[in-house]
Amino acid sequence: MSPLFFKLFFLVTFLCLTGHNAVAIAQSPAPNSSNIEIDNEDLNEKATESITASIDSQFGIIVENMANVLFWEPVKAVPIPLIVIILLCGSIFFTIYHNWLNIRGFKHAIDITRGRYDNPDDPGEISHFQALTSALSATVGLGNIAGVAVAIQTGGPGAVVWMMLIGLLGMTAKFNECTLAMVYRKVRPDGTVDGGPMHYLEIGLQERGFPFPVAKCFGLVFAIFCIGGSFGGGNMFQANQATSAVRGMIGDRPGLDWFFGGLLAFLVGLVIIGGIKRIGQVTEKIIPLMCGIYVLAGIIILILHANQIPEAAVLIVRSCVSPEAAYGGFIGVLVQGIRRAVFSNEAGVGSAAIAHAAAKTDEPVREGMVAMLGPFIDTVVICTMTALVVIVSGAYNTPEAGKGVEMTRWAFSETLSWFPTVLNISVFLFAYSTMISWSYYGEKAWQYIFGTTKKAIIIYRILFLGFIVLGAVASLENVITFSDLMILSMAFPNIIGGVILAPRVKVLLQDYWRRYKANEFTVYE
Amino acid sequence: MALHASTVVVPIDFSSASASAINTGLEIVENPSQLYLIHVMLPLETMSPGVLLGDVTDVSRTAKVTTALKKLAETHNATDAHLAVTIGTPGLEIADYAKREKADLIIIPSHGYHGLKRLFLGSVAERVLRHAPCRVLVLRRPD
Repeated sequence: MSPLFFKLFFLVTFLCLTGHNAVAIAQSPAPNSSNIEIDNEDLNEKATESITASIDSQFGIIVENMANVLFWEPVKAVPIPLIVIILLCGSIFFTIYHNWLNIRGFKHAIDITRGRYDNPDDPGEISHFQALTSALSATVGLGNIAGVAVAIQTGGPGAVVWMMLIGLLGMTAKFNECTLAMVYRKVRPDGTVDGGPMHYLEIGLQERGFPFPVAKCFGLVFAIFCIGGSFGGGNMFQANQATSAVRGMIGDRPGLDWFFGGLLAFLVGLVIIGGIKRIGQVTEKIIPLMCGIYVLAGIIILILHANQIPEAAVLIVRSCVSPEAAYGGFIGVLVQGIRRAVFSNEAGVGSAAIAHAAAKTDEPVREGMVAMLGPFIDTVVICTMTALVVIVSGAYNTPEAGKGVEMTRWAFSETLSWFPTVLNISVFLFAYSTMISWSYYGEKAWQYIFGTTKKAIIIYRILFLGFIVLGAVASLENVITFSDLMILSMAFPNIIGGVILAPRVKVLLQDYWRRYKANEFTVYE
Repeated sequence: MALHASTVVVPIDFSSASASAINTGLEIVENPSQLYLIHVMLPLETMSPGVLLGDVTDVSRTAKVTTALKKLAETHNATDAHLAVTIGTPGLEIADYAKREKADLIIIPSHGYHGLKRLFLGSVAERVLRHAPCRVLVLRRPD
């Protein structure tokens, strides 16, 4: 490990200790006086709370101001943020424009992912299956466990319908962006790949006749939000909910959030600064197993509550079409469903395109079709399953069930008492792998703006670790708003640019589909 | 005054500018074996999908770049040129290589970055100029 890494670890540890014991240093405890010791402990606790509250409050002010701009509602009578309108309309447009590829191309997408067309000599870094796994390791996680609970909490059971719908429509949005990422990726002489929305927006828009400053502006705006997303949903939200899971397991203790945030930052730092790739590799390999355990547990619960599922389905559909005023009416439910679904599957956001660009293929459309499976697995399968468990267990209308990840844990533990331990381990591993994947996305965006020097890269990585600690100590509300703001805002340049570039994708898709139907592809299986 | 050199280092980033630098180098040296081509790779990103899930390693990257360098040398009729692939900060690695090979000239194109990239990336050419143990010929961008 480099000396720099040790310096960083020292810095993070120092931050944790100063956060925890800021006042303890100023107080000199009187020996042999138990009463005074108790007072000091109390003071320490209060000081920690005060520092945490102060950071949270400052962060809250920044988030509120940003939300006023980025979640602007253009029509006062219909309170839908502009970004949600763009996401919804964009997903509908891509689905119709690509002629319902999410349905007609589903079987072919599975065949590609199975490796039927994998040519080991094609340019790129990873197979189709590995690219999908990589993208899923960034999306499957707390958005599916905690995000669904938040959606039901704030939008009611009806939000699930909108989550599923945007999951299905988002499949073609994901296809469009990942195909574009493949078309405009750069394969370096060392075989590594550089691709993603910032590149296809800059180059693609110029090809469509846009002047360089406009195209560059699209790329830059995307890169800025992507960096923000890597600090928000890809980092703070994960750290926040992982800390919440630990709190639920061992109880709330003074300084726990600082300590756990520091520990998480250290563990992420081991991979991204320390260069210990083995930890990241093992985590990436465990993730599918944890996903499997999570889905299996969900299925067991649903089988055990099979008689309640029709009732839950009726409740979901009824509250979707005639939602309660408590959840903000029809529009409130719609907005919550879309926000949480997109936050979870990132369709239209463009982040996964950075991972899919690394796929080993010379057929851009082929990787786009693999990418389509992401929102399906993430939202249509896993999110819906979580939602059904939360509803059939009654957790969604039980106040003691808590918020976010706590609600999901409560829902699962109602039937499987041993599950919370497995869930806590899953939450930690999901959070960890999402943070590592997002650090890669954010760093690619950072490199697009600041270049690839060691200095620029180290600055980003240190900032990333700092945000982990901040995420652990800030409140869920502020963290969610900030994370939503950044991740959803990536869709502004990505969807607008994606619509402009869609004709290029359509031409490629028509040619690919013709060759597929004519059995012109070599099968390697 | 004609430029004479018997050990010429040419950094290669596989751009058209570095191809012109090879041509300039060939005009200066008497024999292509006096040409030393170096490509500097960035350190591997340990969180990239290729590292975490694929089989991307420094060994695989070096092999690919060496093949690409050989091919480039062939297209310039410089198969006798010496080839090197290193990992690190380009400017420093190039200067170190020139020291090791006791070069008497480095020929480097300038890409002319502006804005934030200029601030952080600086210029590889500038860094080579600061650390080089010998003369440096900087080729300006045509525009």
